Amino acid sequence: MTTGELTRRERARRDRIAEQDREIPVELYGLRRGTVTLLTVLAFLFAIFTLIPIAWIIINSTKTQANIFETFGFWFARPFEFFHTFSLLFQNVDGYGTFIQWFGNTALYAALGGGGATALSALAGYGLARFRFRGARLAFFVIIAGLLVPITALTIPLYLTYAKAHLINSIWGMVLPSMISPISVYLMRTYIELSVPHELLDAARIDGAGEWRIFYRVALPLMVPGLLTVLLINVVAVWNNYFLPLLIFNINTKYPLTVGLGLWSDRAVNSGDADLYPMLVMGGLVTIIPLIILFLVLQRYWRGGMLLGSIAN
Amino acid sequence: MASTLTRAAEPRPAARGRLGRASWIQRRDRRGVWFVVPFLVGLLLFMLVPLGYAIYTSLYTYRIIGGTTFTGAANYTETLQNGLFWSGVIRVTIFAAIQIPVMLTIAFFFAAVFDLGLAKFGRTYRTIFFIPFAVPAVVGAVMWSFLLEPQFGPFTRLANGLGFSGTNFFSPDLLLPSIIVIVIWEWTGYNMMILYTALKSVPREVIEAAILDDTPWWKIILRIKLPLVRPAIVMLIFLNTIGALQLFTEPQILEYFEQGAVSLNYTPSYYIYNTAIAADETNLAAAMAVILAVFIVLVSALSLIVRRRRREFG
Repeated sequence: MTTGELTRRERARRDRIAEQDREIPVELYGLRRGTVTLLTVLAFLFAIFTLIPIAWIIINSTKTQANIFETFGFWFARPFEFFHTFSLLFQNVDGYGTFIQWFGNTALYAALGGGGATALSALAGYGLARFRFRGARLAFFVIIAGLLVPITALTIPLYLTYAKAHLINSIWGMVLPSMISPISVYLMRTYIELSVPHELLDAARIDGAGEWRIFYRVALPLMVPGLLTVLLINVVAVWNNYFLPLLIFNINTKYPLTVGLGLWSDRAVNSGDADLYPMLVMGGLVTIIPLIILFLVLQRYWRGGMLLGSIAN
Repeated sequence: MASTLTRAAEPRPAARGRLGRASWIQRRDRRGVWFVVPFLVGLLLFMLVPLGYAIYTSLYTYRIIGGTTFTGAANYTETLQNGLFWSGVIRVTIFAAIQIPVMLTIAFFFAAVFDLGLAKFGRTYRTIFFIPFAVPAVVGAVMWSFLLEPQFGPFTRLANGLGFSGTNFFSPDLLLPSIIVIVIWEWTGYNMMILYTALKSVPREVIEAAILDDTPWWKIILRIKLPLVRPAIVMLIFLNTIGALQLFTEPQILEYFEQGAVSLNYTPSYYIYNTAIAADETNLAAAMAVILAVFIVLVSALSLIVRRRRREFG
């Protein structure tokens, strides 16, 4: 039976057994009775700390504004307003903007920015890993230098440039800089050096294939796990980006989720609108659900080399 | 496939002699530049040009009377002599000095416990601890603002119930500790996963030998495992320091929730934001941004040098 025929459940089970085989049985550490229990309890307490805000936001997405503040935060209260509040996410309440539009904007920016970053870094990583053209060392040096410049420190300069170039409120002002990820180029270059053999490329050349065709047909299929890693890192980075869109968008139809929710938390305090706090809670919940699901599904990619690679940032 | 590979070992152009082969490789390599060009153009337009423009802007000053004039380093001297700017720098330094050691201690403790399999359900806990990494900082800050809110927040009520009446987590004394808790919540799982991955690469034989010598588990963790993952910890200290220097989202959202709780200059990034947007002093903000960028690049460069000396980085 090949790997392709195994179901996901079977693969997970096989991985678990393999992992258990590698681990040294706990009994061998000569533990006193109760040590395992104590350490498990400590882990349990930290898990509670981790889950408290998540539990709070789920429970309070069902409440009215008054109940959010006046009832016990970790239990439900009548009336059950979940569906009413959820429906408000599709409306432009008080002209502050429509949540579902921000959701669409975020998805668009993340898809274009994350996809573009993956494509550009795959091309650049391939060029740097497999060709020794004049200036290759200089290009690599420039990219490593770019890796040192943090995005927050770059955001004010981007804002000033956009103000001059009339790019304020342009979605390209958000998408195009998101495509420039030096760390992704570095990761792709390392990945390609390990996984795309020179000999295979030369063989394709001798068969008369053009360079683009070789990249597309020979190299790209071998790069898929690395591409997925880089795609995930960049989609998450754009999805969570707050500082850049906060500066460059000043009309609420262009906002991503992060900026829209920030605006709501500002307005909720001042406006006295009875629905804004529940909408903020519901909006927060709907923002994090897709990402948490994405992470749980793609967990295996996040483990392994992925995190060790991304820490180079 | 096998026949293709054998042919690859003997590239046809080699038959034309050394010169022919060399020029074939040269021509092949020259074409590679086109794969790198799109990225470099993007890097030029969206990194180098803005940075250059920020430096250019920082050398000018706008006045209502007289317009924009070249003032050289005036914006830089003004920033460096500005106590508000430095108090933000000092605040993020204190923040980093507390938050990073606490977080890394928790992260390493659990990474080591899960690595040795000393707690039950380690797999489940690892997944749970990692969840906050998937939560955008804005949403994390919003959730914690609700929990810590001075009148109705569940944590405020809990503190009052425990006898600490009048507790206000957004007061000047407790604001920084509150932000530290939020950031620890956001990043411990990510740091734990990195350390866990690093710990997994410690050779099994080393641990087996220690067990045969009757070394207790906590000594295995502190005396054997900790020194072997020290490079990963050093790198995490640098990474988290760079992150701390850019602290922005959490104080900004907290200020939305409790107006007046967070001062304009609370962190350098927040001060730059307020100078550029609220005060509309873009030239001065540009100078501040350049100073912050230079400072962070220096820290990053230092980390690269340390890691290169340890041969961990390409």
